[in-house]
Amino acid sequence: MDIFIWAVLIIAAAYIFAPFVFMFTASAMPAGDIMKMPYRWIPKGFYWQNYWQGIRGNDGSFIYLRNILNSLIVASAVTTTTVFLSALTGFGLAKYQFKGRHLVFMMILATIMIPFEVIMIPLYLIVMKLGFQDSYLGLITPFVVSAFGIFLMRQYYITFPDAMLDAARIDGASEPMIFRRIILPNSIPAIATLAILTFKSQWDNLLWPLLVAQTEEMKTIPLYIVRFTAEKHTDEGAMMAVAAIASIPILILFLRLSKYFIGGAVVFTGKKG
Amino acid sequence: MGLRLIPVSFFTLIWDMKGRIFSSGIEHKKARWGWTFIIPSLVFFSLFSFYPILNALYTSLFRKKLLSLDPPRFIGFDNYVYLLQSPDFWNSIRATVVFTLGTFVPIVVFSLIFALFIMSRKRFQKFFQMAYYSPAVLSSVVVAAIWLLMLDPRGLANQWLNFILNTPGIDHKWLANSAMVQISTMMVYFWKYVGYFTIIFLVGLGSIPKSIHEAARTDGATGWTDFLYITLPLLKPTTVLVSIMSMLQCLKTFSTQYLFTQGGAPMEPINVITLNLYHTTIRDRSIGLASAMSIILFCMMLFFTWLQFKTFRSEEVQY
Repeated sequence: MDIFIWAVLIIAAAYIFAPFVFMFTASAMPAGDIMKMPYRWIPKGFYWQNYWQGIRGNDGSFIYLRNILNSLIVASAVTTTTVFLSALTGFGLAKYQFKGRHLVFMMILATIMIPFEVIMIPLYLIVMKLGFQDSYLGLITPFVVSAFGIFLMRQYYITFPDAMLDAARIDGASEPMIFRRIILPNSIPAIATLAILTFKSQWDNLLWPLLVAQTEEMKTIPLYIVRFTAEKHTDEGAMMAVAAIASIPILILFLRLSKYFIGGAVVFTGKKG
Repeated sequence: MGLRLIPVSFFTLIWDMKGRIFSSGIEHKKARWGWTFIIPSLVFFSLFSFYPILNALYTSLFRKKLLSLDPPRFIGFDNYVYLLQSPDFWNSIRATVVFTLGTFVPIVVFSLIFALFIMSRKRFQKFFQMAYYSPAVLSSVVVAAIWLLMLDPRGLANQWLNFILNTPGIDHKWLANSAMVQISTMMVYFWKYVGYFTIIFLVGLGSIPKSIHEAARTDGATGWTDFLYITLPLLKPTTVLVSIMSMLQCLKTFSTQYLFTQGGAPMEPINVITLNLYHTTIRDRSIGLASAMSIILFCMMLFFTWLQFKTFRSEEVQY
């Protein structure tokens, strides 16, 4: 039985890793080698032309660099606003007594149930009306704060000792100062979890940019990958190079900060991961 | 539930504001700060969550074209009637339901097995946890692109399957055959998310107190009976959570199907509702119809969530 369990775990791990290894090895091989049977898991050398080709694009426009920049701008902006507003609202809901606060919390929680796909068209109409089409504002606006983020931050702040806040008040700190000087610095783990989740989901976002970004200059990484994949003359190695470039930043984040990734995954279980 | 609360809460909000702003005292001052901190988010949710869901409902009752000069025309439930008579939309419902069932059931089963196996190890727990989770970190488009190449007729998937089945040189038409392309999308999704849900199960398993297992052992439970009568019932909340989360995730699937069809796979077998919704919006510009589609998708999500809660409750274990 013991050997069986080890075997299952190891085979499953191999199955999980194989596509990763395939992506990185194929990105370093000429196209002719990638489709050869049997697949050569160790490339003969590093075929850097794939990366050059991927960045250059089939039309030689180097638009991928711009698209990477767009992804960075959008993901960073959304992460900043989401973290700030979620912390602020979570704090307000956790530490202030006022009529209707449970109702507000329930309302915000209820929006977690509304899938983005369902409200996508009205959002698109709003963004068009605001004149944000094909702009950073259009890509960012629907995501400036998330119900999930508020939930996460509120759960974190609810256990925060009131005595510390009252002590600050007695010392004459104003409420915004308490938020900035005491609350924010003391919630780094929750903030890191939320920041990583938000950044990752924006890095991954496909459907919304497909609607909003019309010119090549405003597209983000996922849109470039789709276009590059669909183009007739795309070479397999270059395709994997493009995919590898898109994955490396997030994989580095994962390897360095895995506990926050995993912490975010288990928020809804309400238990410590 | 959210919908019904909107008018009421707006009323209380305004009423509260009036009371707060014109009175004083330390408690009121604090309450005012509470409101100040939540107002920005509340405004945002009103504009970008509550209004859109109502607007989607409203738009679904109109014949409305994007970028059209004709004013939208009220047509009642005609969009829904049209959709429910359209073979194309029924195909989308079929594709979505088949994909969801074919993906979330294996995900729940295997993530539970993986979690139990990892939990039973004394060493390398952390390693397997990280390893299995890692695909969830990649963006869906990247995942779909990798698999697109692996499922190529000359790709790895054929080589492996032929090795296992000992049938050299057969092309299994992963991306061409209508049944195979559905299986392919399920495989991609399974690969990406099984580790994510393994983690959730691990947390659930970790929260079952060791003393309960020890008590069961002293009462003569073996590994198997311990699992069946102790672990499984106590793990039920986690199972419900995983099951509902993965199901909702599957019902919303878009990226894999989109990239596959862009990469040359046939559209019809994997034309899931979100893909159809996207094409109806962008290509046909019929946003009235697309809104009706999105409402139907929402209703399906609510229905299946309710169904799961109901099924799990009827199997409640008494002890």
